[in-house]
Amino acid sequence: MSGRRSGSGVSSISDDQITHLVSKLQQLIPELCARRSHKASASKVLQETCDYIRNLHKEVEDLSDRLSQLLASIDTDKDQAAIVRSLLM
Amino acid sequence: MAQTPCDPRYISRSHHCFSLEQINGVPTHFSLISPPSLSEPLSSILIHFLGSVELLSLSATSFPLLLSRLNFLLFSLSIQEQVLARMRSPFSLKQEFLKKWILGLQRCRSSKKNMSIFERKKVIKLSADVAMASARKGTTCWSRALIADAVKEGNADKHLAEKILGPASERQPTKKVPVGAMAYNKRIRSKKILKRSSVIRRTIKCAPQAARPSSIVKTLVGKRRQILRSLIPGGEFMNGVSLIEETLDYIISLRAQVDVMRSLASASKLVNLN
Repeated sequence: MSGRRSGSGVSSISDDQITHLVSKLQQLIPELCARRSHKASASKVLQETCDYIRNLHKEVEDLSDRLSQLLASIDTDKDQAAIVRSLLM
Repeated sequence: MAQTPCDPRYISRSHHCFSLEQINGVPTHFSLISPPSLSEPLSSILIHFLGSVELLSLSATSFPLLLSRLNFLLFSLSIQEQVLARMRSPFSLKQEFLKKWILGLQRCRSSKKNMSIFERKKVIKLSADVAMASARKGTTCWSRALIADAVKEGNADKHLAEKILGPASERQPTKKVPVGAMAYNKRIRSKKILKRSSVIRRTIKCAPQAARPSSIVKTLVGKRRQILRSLIPGGEFMNGVSLIEETLDYIISLRAQVDVMRSLASASKLVNLN
């Protein structure tokens, strides 16, 4: 843990930094953002963060699955690739 | 503004919460009058904050307290700037990712003409992850760790990863500028200032204080921290503040990756229907 207690003054800075970062995390996570009540506890924020990251990982897996079926072959012919690219840009 | 002894001190705005716990007791509870919105330039946020600091100085708080608060503000502003900069240009991040991803996919195309679905999925996922990591151009720890992991000796898909990354001459030189570098320097400076002022602080009598909420620190030294570390690539090497900074960046990148993949999937579906 960075910021070991060498003096009481030093650790208060670390606490502040951590609190601030935790609040930033809270803003990123949609679950906690929706409620907007007040600052959620740090442990809850961490828990939701872990869940959120796991969800995102799972979504990447599912999307890769779908894409591997949709893109009939990796070597999509040039026209198809061009169409897809233009749709996305 | 109410004055209550031995209460933690809060400066809170609707979007950003700064909480400061003070050791010695001149506590004041107040909030900024007109909270600025997220889109306001950081300079005006600074002005707002300094305005409230002005009020504090009138109520005769000690100088080192003021300094510590200013240092904290500088730190939080730097983090805010980084996060905002990353979020301000999500579109360019997505473009960068897409470009690298398609490049990686094309590099894999030559190997086998008819890949199994399983292999295809592996290629897609790996190239997406590698593209996301290289879009960060080595500025963050997790991206470096992800790429290093992919080309590690014991990895089964090492050749695939190397193919995706391209010839060694094309690979980006990893800039060893960690995300928290600025914050780290500021932290050192603030430590020095606090050391100097600790002498002054000791002369101020401490009122008996409520139990210091080191629970936040304790939370991070727990099982959840282990879980978080296991989720983020290269997390075992990160600690404390840098862990959370890396988490922030990782979440932003993951979101961009999911968005791009999702839109590609729906676009492909449209193309396939025709």
